Amino acid sequence: MSAQTPSTLAQRSGSANPQQPKWTSTGGSAPSTGAVVRATLLIAGAILVVTPVLWAAMSSFKTQAELAQTPPTLWPNHPTADNYTSGLQAFDFVHFLTNSIIVTVSATVLTLIINSMAAYALSKYNFRGRTVLFLITLSTIMIPLQVILLPVYQVIASFGMVNSLWGLIIPPAATPTGVFLLRQYMLSLPDEMIEAARIDGAGEFKIFLRIILPLSRPALAVVAIFSVIWRWNDFLWPLIVAQDESVQTLPVAIARFASQQAIPFNQILAVSVVTILPIIVIFLFLQRHIIAGLAQGSIK
Amino acid sequence: MSVMAPARARGFRGWMRGKNLAPYLFVLPNMLIFGVFTIWPAFNGFNLSFYDSSNGRTYRPVGTGNYTNILSDSQFWGVVQHTVLFTLGFVVLSTVLGTALALMLNSQRRGRGALSAAYFLPVLISPVVVGIIWKAALDRTTGLVNQVLSAIGLGSPGWLVDSSLSLISVILVGTWIHLGFYAVILISGLQAIDTSLYEAARMDGASVWQSVRLITLPLLRPTLMVVIILATIAGFQAFDFVYTLTGGGPVGATTLIIQYIYENAFSYPIQYGLASAAAVILFVVVFAVTFINYAIGRRSESI
Repeated sequence: MSAQTPSTLAQRSGSANPQQPKWTSTGGSAPSTGAVVRATLLIAGAILVVTPVLWAAMSSFKTQAELAQTPPTLWPNHPTADNYTSGLQAFDFVHFLTNSIIVTVSATVLTLIINSMAAYALSKYNFRGRTVLFLITLSTIMIPLQVILLPVYQVIASFGMVNSLWGLIIPPAATPTGVFLLRQYMLSLPDEMIEAARIDGAGEFKIFLRIILPLSRPALAVVAIFSVIWRWNDFLWPLIVAQDESVQTLPVAIARFASQQAIPFNQILAVSVVTILPIIVIFLFLQRHIIAGLAQGSIK
Repeated sequence: MSVMAPARARGFRGWMRGKNLAPYLFVLPNMLIFGVFTIWPAFNGFNLSFYDSSNGRTYRPVGTGNYTNILSDSQFWGVVQHTVLFTLGFVVLSTVLGTALALMLNSQRRGRGALSAAYFLPVLISPVVVGIIWKAALDRTTGLVNQVLSAIGLGSPGWLVDSSLSLISVILVGTWIHLGFYAVILISGLQAIDTSLYEAARMDGASVWQSVRLITLPLLRPTLMVVIILATIAGFQAFDFVYTLTGGGPVGATTLIIQYIYENAFSYPIQYGLASAAAVILFVVVFAVTFINYAIGRRSESI
């Protein structure tokens, strides 16, 4: 650690100064030792991080005999797609994927609607109880679903929402983080616009819909990214609510599939690879936005 | 007055236009869901911790019985110990590695996009699948890690089956999941630091290490606090990847508090009393730790 940080800084101040040679692999000047050490460490670390995933993907193409073979092989000797065909026969991927998509999309849309409405009221209106409502919202950040698992389950049970997609969608929708992020953003929007629209005779809801929402698009995008990642990966809550296979989402279904002793491990790996692919494809398209959005959201 | 009168005459719409009711209607849906699915259950959960039930239908009041039971339950203390060790190891490891990674990535120019994507990959994978992948990779005989270790003559440790190693494996996998996310947060903190400060320090003859210690780390402190608080909360709530990685085993060596609550509340034999008391204790601990972190962060910021 301590050996690494100084060289990092040397490189930083080096690149800020145009007189200093910049590191280019084909350029005439040699790269500084610090830069070489840093690049080596970064690449080695990246390989360490990625390898288990690639290895698991490789293993999903091996036969069961090859998986149990000693000494084990790294690359599949006779790549086979059997694990995929038989894995996807035992595991109704499309069904669980559909459930996951329905839950993720509806919960995110619901979150965006109710969070932005609440954020608008809390940022742009003066009304009795505003401070109290805002403080209540903030304090619920400290009460995650995991801590109130049992009492929330009792509430949805009394509403008959166990084993229904509504039970997965509604309870986690009112995220305090979303209200907070959107409120901070809306505070920065000028009040004059709202006043001008009122003078022109626009109704309160119309102002929200036509002026506030379009202007809040960057903050809405951040909340949407968070919501999609949370809902897509949600496990504990769906594990409790979706006891029936017909409403299970991908994480719950995979965990259940993986816990069956009779299913060979390379089939489980094959199914896992199939579930990772859509997310990685989406990420590759939106990498810049997602990373910027996550960083922005966490700091605030 | 003459402006107000026609507005009032328009009834409901007029009232909306008069901005009296509108804010309440705007907050209503969100607050309704908060109320029904967070605030009411939170109070009810506290209340529930003074009752016991083995079927979820009939409850009998037991006073503070659940708390005295749980505090004398050796399984609970084992779970507390694992959870605290896991959280400590996870917070320290992911903060230190995250900072190192952020400092290095932030000054790397060539190949930065590809490197960031590689470190961010685990964040994208559902934790349940992460558990499955690492269960395969850490398998004693067929796993990737031991294939490499035994090839270089380091034997084949039982990462997931040896109870002295399994918690370490869980800490390492937890760090693997979150590292890229924390690095992204820390990089945005680093980029907010004014680069002219480094120039000034260099001109004043400050050594590189002095700049890191006196400029980077103090100015990064608010961001570090965010990461430490996020990691602490994530640590106490870890469940999903452990569920598929070790299932809490071997012999309960990696059973953390959320799994303890889940099992007492939802799998046989059901002990609602213990689950509720554990949930209240978890809430108090997480609240206290977050508050202390926050207070320390605030105090050092003001210095």
